[in-house]
Amino acid sequence: MATMQSTPISPSAGRWIPSTCGMCLHGCGIKVQVVDGVAVKIEGDPTNPDNLGKLCPKGNSGLARLYDPTRVLYPMKRTNPKKGLHEKPGWVQIGWEEAYEIVARELGKLRKDDPRKLLCAIGDFQRILLWGWPAVFGSPNFFTSLGNYCGGSYHPVNGSVDGSFAAINDYEHCNYWIQIGSGDGFSSHLHLSGSAKRMADARMRGMRVVSLDPRCSVASAKADEWIPILPGTDRAFVLGMAHVLVHELRRYDREFLRERTNAPYLVKADGYFLRDSEGKAQVWDLRVNAARAWDAVPSESMALEGAFSHAGMNVRTGFQVWMDILLENTPEKMSEVTTVPAATIRRIAREFVDAAQIGASIEIQGKTYPYRPAALNYYRGSQSHANGLFDNITYKLFNMLVGNIDVPGGHLGVPLDHRGFFVSPGEDGMLKPEPHQLHPAPEFKYPPDSTHLLEWFPIGFDAGQLNAETVLNPERFGLNYRPEAMLLYHSNPWWNMPETDKIEKIFQSMKFVVAIDIQETESTQWADVFLPDRTFLESTLLNCLEPPAVTGHALRQPVVEPLGDTRDAYEILTELAERMGFRDDWNDFLNIVCGYTAKPKYLLDPDKRHTVDEFWDRYARSIYGEDKGLEWFKVHGHAVRYRTPEETYLPFGNLRIPFYFEFIKRTGEQMRVRLSEAGMKDWPLDNYQPLPFWKNSQVIEDGKAGYEYYGITFKESLHTFADTMVMPWLSEVSDKDPIHGGILINSATAGKLGIKTGDRLRLTSPAGSIEGAAQVVEGIHPQVLGVSNTITRQVVNNKRVRAKGSHFNRLLTGSMRYTDSATGGLESTARVRVERLGA
Amino acid sequence: MARLGMVIDLKRCIGCNACTLACKQENGTPEGIHYARVVTQEAGVYPRTKRTFLPVLCNHCADAPCAEACPTGATYIRPDGIVMVDHKKCIGCRACNVACPYMNRHFIERGLLKHGYSSDGISPFEALKFADFDEGTNIKCTLCAHRVDEGLEPACVVTCPTDARVFGDWEEENGKLQRLVKERKAWTLLPEYGTKPSVQYLDE
Repeated sequence: MATMQSTPISPSAGRWIPSTCGMCLHGCGIKVQVVDGVAVKIEGDPTNPDNLGKLCPKGNSGLARLYDPTRVLYPMKRTNPKKGLHEKPGWVQIGWEEAYEIVARELGKLRKDDPRKLLCAIGDFQRILLWGWPAVFGSPNFFTSLGNYCGGSYHPVNGSVDGSFAAINDYEHCNYWIQIGSGDGFSSHLHLSGSAKRMADARMRGMRVVSLDPRCSVASAKADEWIPILPGTDRAFVLGMAHVLVHELRRYDREFLRERTNAPYLVKADGYFLRDSEGKAQVWDLRVNAARAWDAVPSESMALEGAFSHAGMNVRTGFQVWMDILLENTPEKMSEVTTVPAATIRRIAREFVDAAQIGASIEIQGKTYPYRPAALNYYRGSQSHANGLFDNITYKLFNMLVGNIDVPGGHLGVPLDHRGFFVSPGEDGMLKPEPHQLHPAPEFKYPPDSTHLLEWFPIGFDAGQLNAETVLNPERFGLNYRPEAMLLYHSNPWWNMPETDKIEKIFQSMKFVVAIDIQETESTQWADVFLPDRTFLESTLLNCLEPPAVTGHALRQPVVEPLGDTRDAYEILTELAERMGFRDDWNDFLNIVCGYTAKPKYLLDPDKRHTVDEFWDRYARSIYGEDKGLEWFKVHGHAVRYRTPEETYLPFGNLRIPFYFEFIKRTGEQMRVRLSEAGMKDWPLDNYQPLPFWKNSQVIEDGKAGYEYYGITFKESLHTFADTMVMPWLSEVSDKDPIHGGILINSATAGKLGIKTGDRLRLTSPAGSIEGAAQVVEGIHPQVLGVSNTITRQVVNNKRVRAKGSHFNRLLTGSMRYTDSATGGLESTARVRVERLGA
Repeated sequence: MARLGMVIDLKRCIGCNACTLACKQENGTPEGIHYARVVTQEAGVYPRTKRTFLPVLCNHCADAPCAEACPTGATYIRPDGIVMVDHKKCIGCRACNVACPYMNRHFIERGLLKHGYSSDGISPFEALKFADFDEGTNIKCTLCAHRVDEGLEPACVVTCPTDARVFGDWEEENGKLQRLVKERKAWTLLPEYGTKPSVQYLDE
């Protein structure tokens, strides 16, 4: 049609190149239009069943990252010896040879002295295969909270229940979806673009959504019902619902609990299973009214409930033990904790169990599965707390009550990657728990080697926040060295850690800091050398991370010539390994993480430096066959397909999953013995419990010291998984939404305190204080102040982005008092006082 | 004849602004100008609170006040219903900005094209995209006419994660647009202005 208002670039101009997004960690399929060597448009790849051609706002902003004028495009060295957050580093451009020479010399010296003296912060999830570089260097240290806020307790529990890494309700079959402290399907978490599509389709077919959140999040706004709740009390709400199912309605899936879990196993008064002389866990055989080995009794003859007398001992089934715990958790009591009315707890519990259709089945592709179309989904907000282990297990057990774990309509595990669920037989007919999936389970050690005390968290994650305590007081923890240097690789620990002042002291104490990144951050203000990496539009890798519904890799490939003189992070790390004399160990390590030890034909040659393309070509062929190397992926883009029902449902087969977490109790007991032998008698071990219950966290207790309110932080789709607050395309849009502009305060509370929108507020927690502008809203709990993650950055080099500097993490603490003693998960909520500083 | 337009399903929309950013990269609009955007509001009183998300774009009105107000004929309506601006004829008088009740007309201020999203000049991407624009003239959503003319849907439609946006032809008998507004309650923005928008909304 003739006469345009102008002549925009035709969508058929140039060429479209398939690749993957790198704007968050998940890597949706994309195609990029390139005209005259310039990338001009990114769209979702409609052939990729992961995101189905869809793209979130961050994905739609990828070009602004590629062409961001504040990118670092050349290696640089610092000239200003003074360091500080607002101290200009005085960068001067240098060549790669000089840059490598400085880094290899400084880190090489350190490595000869004591490699543990290197603190490492790595946050590049799409290159997760490279995360072991510090270990090969010789440092066990993890100097970042990245991943721990949301995953600290979440991942270990998922891995222990069904060998998954993450979890999500079944978008396709669920009819009643309880969402607690999560943006899944609405604003954040797993593969947002595809998840939002699946959630919208489910809601259109009539699925009901109930959202619990202190704030009227997107999920809450779109849900059929928003239930405001105090932060950190979600578990109490769910314990109250469990009480209703078990003690009031007496409706739960007895068959599932007897057949597929260890709920019928008998527990002695000391909390351990009753075992026979062969060590086999016992169940109560209803046919003969006696204890028998679990494998000698058909499930239907096992007692699920009850207390029994065996050889003069009182024993109870694991299920009975939790039933007895739940007696305490009446909706009335849980209402006092959560502020949610008891009637609401009862109603939601009844709606949930009604929708669950206990006993129903469904046929999918010729196979019959249990059908439980009701499920509770949860993520960061509901379990990123100092009792996160209890939170996570409570949510799993509540789902187990209706038998919905890994069945159509229910709560589904999401595997870490293409390898699927980690399923292997453990003890007592159980699935072997896999709390660690990113690295091998650590062996206990005293004195410890790592500054985040990895060796003291055998079922935990990486408690990076503990660095704030340990690095400044190593002797208190038996650490017999002091860190001296830091490697930053796409990670910003100054910003992501709690205890900002202590973390800053650690930065100040470093003798040498090297940063591999694409842009300056708060943390790189301390860097001595900056090694510029390539963006996702200029580099190569294979992507497969936590995909719900689908599996298989998609290729990231360069769509334009790299800007400036940058290098791929794989190449940088390999070059540094070579210069420091450990390239052979590095290649050996990669052989292990790539799984080549089981496929010797693909083994990397320890004596050879493999290029980026060789590395990924080999990886592709090792998984997909000789004909599907890098060249195949460059043409086809991806090998992503839907997971089959067999890969999705009941992945644990005939193995039982844990209802009673005896192994956690046992691990705690082992830790108690080892730590007291080491003289660490005061080390907290309270959370190594076999079953979850309610107890007040330190945060709740802080209320008694005059911290009347709660402070929370939140993200929405414009900035999901962070990292983009300094991008003008995105900040311009988030600036328009008042909820991202200041500190959210409920109108009733604001009225009481005489606060109006725009007033300057100060929030003070036991750890520190922040300031920001008040934003008076209805959509937040009256006892809660909300700080958008959007306003937390301090170092913003693009003058078109307004830095707001309300750094929420200053309110958080990194000590063990605010850490889950079993998982190392950290507390993401703080009690605060509010002051009005002026208009 | 045709009348191209869109139905936006507010039940599906999650206010994520993928449309806003897809439009930003497709059309390369200068800083501060968004053809597509999402108006977010809070409604109700705690705890009966909602946040509403209203994605807006040019309504491509059949009786477009902007076209009526344009003194030079720069703003015109294509036979397929798309409201366009011929930038060669636009004199930058801004009568259209005043006339449009939806605030969907955008004026390129003098100097705006000198910088992109940085203070240090413009990026290679912006250099290509800005070639379309003239300072001192008016621009607007074209319903991605350049895509539509090649048989594609507008950028905001293809990217929408929830499939909240449905593009089609209002004149197609029993076509997808007509069917959607028959099945669900539909409405337009500011009907009192009598503009006959080509964008309709489906209730939550």
